Amino acid sequence: MNKTYNFAFFDEGSKREIRRATLKAIAIPGYQVPFASREMPIGRGWGTGGLQLTLSLIGKDDVLKVIDQGSDESVNAVNIKKLVSDTTGVRTTESTADASLIQSRHRVPEVPLQRDQILILQVPLPEPLRNFEPSEQETKKLHAEREYSGAWLMLFEQIMKYGIMATDADHPVMVHDRYVMAPSPIPRFDNAKLDDSEALILLGAGREKKVYALPPYTNVSSLAFDDYAFEIESFTNHACILCGSNDLFLDELVDGESGETYFQCNDTSNCLEMVNQKQISGVK
Amino acid sequence: MNLDVVHDIQTVYRKLVTATSRPGTLVVLEREAKTLGVQIECLSSTILLARTVLDPEVTFKVIAKEEEAVSRMINQLTYSKPVELPEADFIFILHDASEEQLKEALNHAKVGNLLNPHESAMIILEVPDVTKGDSMILSGPGIQQESIITLPNATSWLGARNEKNREFPLGIDMYFVDQQDRLIALPRTTQIKGNGGEIIWDMLQ
Repeated sequence: MNKTYNFAFFDEGSKREIRRATLKAIAIPGYQVPFASREMPIGRGWGTGGLQLTLSLIGKDDVLKVIDQGSDESVNAVNIKKLVSDTTGVRTTESTADASLIQSRHRVPEVPLQRDQILILQVPLPEPLRNFEPSEQETKKLHAEREYSGAWLMLFEQIMKYGIMATDADHPVMVHDRYVMAPSPIPRFDNAKLDDSEALILLGAGREKKVYALPPYTNVSSLAFDDYAFEIESFTNHACILCGSNDLFLDELVDGESGETYFQCNDTSNCLEMVNQKQISGVK
Repeated sequence: MNLDVVHDIQTVYRKLVTATSRPGTLVVLEREAKTLGVQIECLSSTILLARTVLDPEVTFKVIAKEEEAVSRMINQLTYSKPVELPEADFIFILHDASEEQLKEALNHAKVGNLLNPHESAMIILEVPDVTKGDSMILSGPGIQQESIITLPNATSWLGARNEKNREFPLGIDMYFVDQQDRLIALPRTTQIKGNGGEIIWDMLQ
């Protein structure tokens, strides 16, 4: 642990400011609370929002897991983990079940979250209405008036153009029947995990200086029409090449040599656990 | 043992997060409160909360018999400025405040506006015991279906709270602390029903 820094990198004043914003965010689910967003030793847009939330929350007894698009071992995840453990000395883990704080970029872990865990999502663009309204003042007004016809129209136009809602990731959700919220670029597959979650979910956007939250057991529904239902990514007839799962979110990859496509779990730590479990039961 | 402003405040904050995200859940600040020693003017938990959220960037108001002394103490501990009720970001209503003062404080607390609902007051209310009093049923975000809790003197604050929180997202978030250093939060999203009709409050108050 590097003791030349204050515990958890920040000075106490910075933590307090983020903490106040976070408490307000939890009290108003789905509402984007502005905060000061400190300069961080990583670039804005590389997870500084999530990192600031993590640093404001973390204590000596926490166990931290950081994932980047499902992977514990990608550069972004490794560097964030290093920064936090260097300045706090907390234990890091790859196992979702062991972690008390889970910072994630663009995925909700496959292992169901528990009551005593907090999921922190990194958010590049927190404003779900930004696509059609560039002014922050105007989008604030739209949220204030619960005027979301633009968000619906955006989906309607996609259906007109492509025959389906083509949002891919970051499909907007309605929170507590009040605010339309960007769930961060998680795949549509993960949207359902936000609804009625066991764990508190915090979302932080460092560059855009916003934090927002989903308390546990909050009603979160993906925007959809009566005749065009919300659909998740389909992996019918495909299974993970390593663990054989066919009901999880899979990545489509191409074998460099043979040119064939194959599928593999996106959540690497969960995949590894499944493979290990299979081997253990195989030995028996 | 003295209060560790880094680690003890961090655990207080995490308990605040638990309390806010799971309304009605009892959290215990006893360990952190013990580091403060004996307090005379207000409860230890009140000081812990003040030290967790207050600094020169925000304002507060104290409602108590010894308002001036407590305000001065909080100001010296946190450098936060005491202001009048309608401007206060944090309102501390101590155990010796009268029912009229409590109602007045809630009536004048700011609720934010539709553009900025976060510019609302957080109320910290000292009560004798957060596990005794009027039984009530809670529902809303953070609560799995319903939960039943008991809080004291509901008639003196529930009507004013309902009035303030009529138009979500506007409203006030209330934190109840007691002499045993226990804390319960009722953020604005929490809907409260009387359990068996014991609670009677006047909506016009």
